[in-house]
Amino acid sequence: MRDNSTAPKPIQVDENSPLFDKTGMLHKEFPSDFRQIRYFTLLIVQSAPPDIKEINLLEQQISEIIKNAVKHGNKCNVEKKVRIWYSFSSEHAHLIVEDEGSGFKDLEKWNDFNKKRQKLLEGQDYEALADFVSYRGAAADENDGGNALFAAVEYWSGGFVFNSKRNCVAMLKRFPQKRKGVELESEA
Amino acid sequence: MELKIRKSGDNYIIDVNGEMDLYNSYKLKELVMKMLEKKVERFIINLENVDYIDSSGIGALIYICSTIKKMGLRLVITNIHGSVKKVIELTKLMGYFPISSNIDEALQRMGS
Repeated sequence: MRDNSTAPKPIQVDENSPLFDKTGMLHKEFPSDFRQIRYFTLLIVQSAPPDIKEINLLEQQISEIIKNAVKHGNKCNVEKKVRIWYSFSSEHAHLIVEDEGSGFKDLEKWNDFNKKRQKLLEGQDYEALADFVSYRGAAADENDGGNALFAAVEYWSGGFVFNSKRNCVAMLKRFPQKRKGVELESEA
Repeated sequence: MELKIRKSGDNYIIDVNGEMDLYNSYKLKELVMKMLEKKVERFIINLENVDYIDSSGIGALIYICSTIKKMGLRLVITNIHGSVKKVIELTKLMGYFPISSNIDEALQRMGS
């Protein structure tokens, strides 16, 4: 995996993105219980084939999205639901996560912040980067890492897109297809 | 998550055991802040037995690292591996954190 080399990936808003197509996807919904975020995540990830789990990287990335929905979207109000649609194969992970909150209002600010952060990373200006390692939204608390979305836009390389209301996010990661069978040497 | 402190010369090695997640990462932050109050100046955080980290864990490391840097004290994070390494790579902070591959290298970097 290369470091410091890619152009900034903005988070998109596109209600009509094909990533919001739920056809054939499995569905679960959970109350916004902060204590159970990792448990809910495991219930989703258990249907993924082992070869795309990358030990626990897939679990970790999904847990971040569910945490954002529970904590920042639904403000940990257990009356409010997080709805998740998901589909996994050995070649892809596709997720749609919807909360009942008022939407990710800071999205443009976040994109702007990430652009500046990326510039500092490219210039390896680690001193100035100290002010750009964590994004702090207005509602963030000291237990928020402020870095989950930086990793998310990198990990979900097939797309990471919000709906117009910004309370629903769809994401896709494709995994390289493993070759099946034995490759024969071509004869001269 | 379990935290153990041991000493090597003037260096304090914190062995982190378990998962650094949204439920417990604050413990490492609190421990380091207490050690700073007690005038500890040289820290090695050993992640050899950490197989899972999330954004709260990364956030705790960022907080610790920036606090120690601002105070002009010493920190090395060591034995980053597996998905912990991948998550730090995804956040592109491999160059930001002072990282050594093992304790011996960390001690050398500390100049002991």
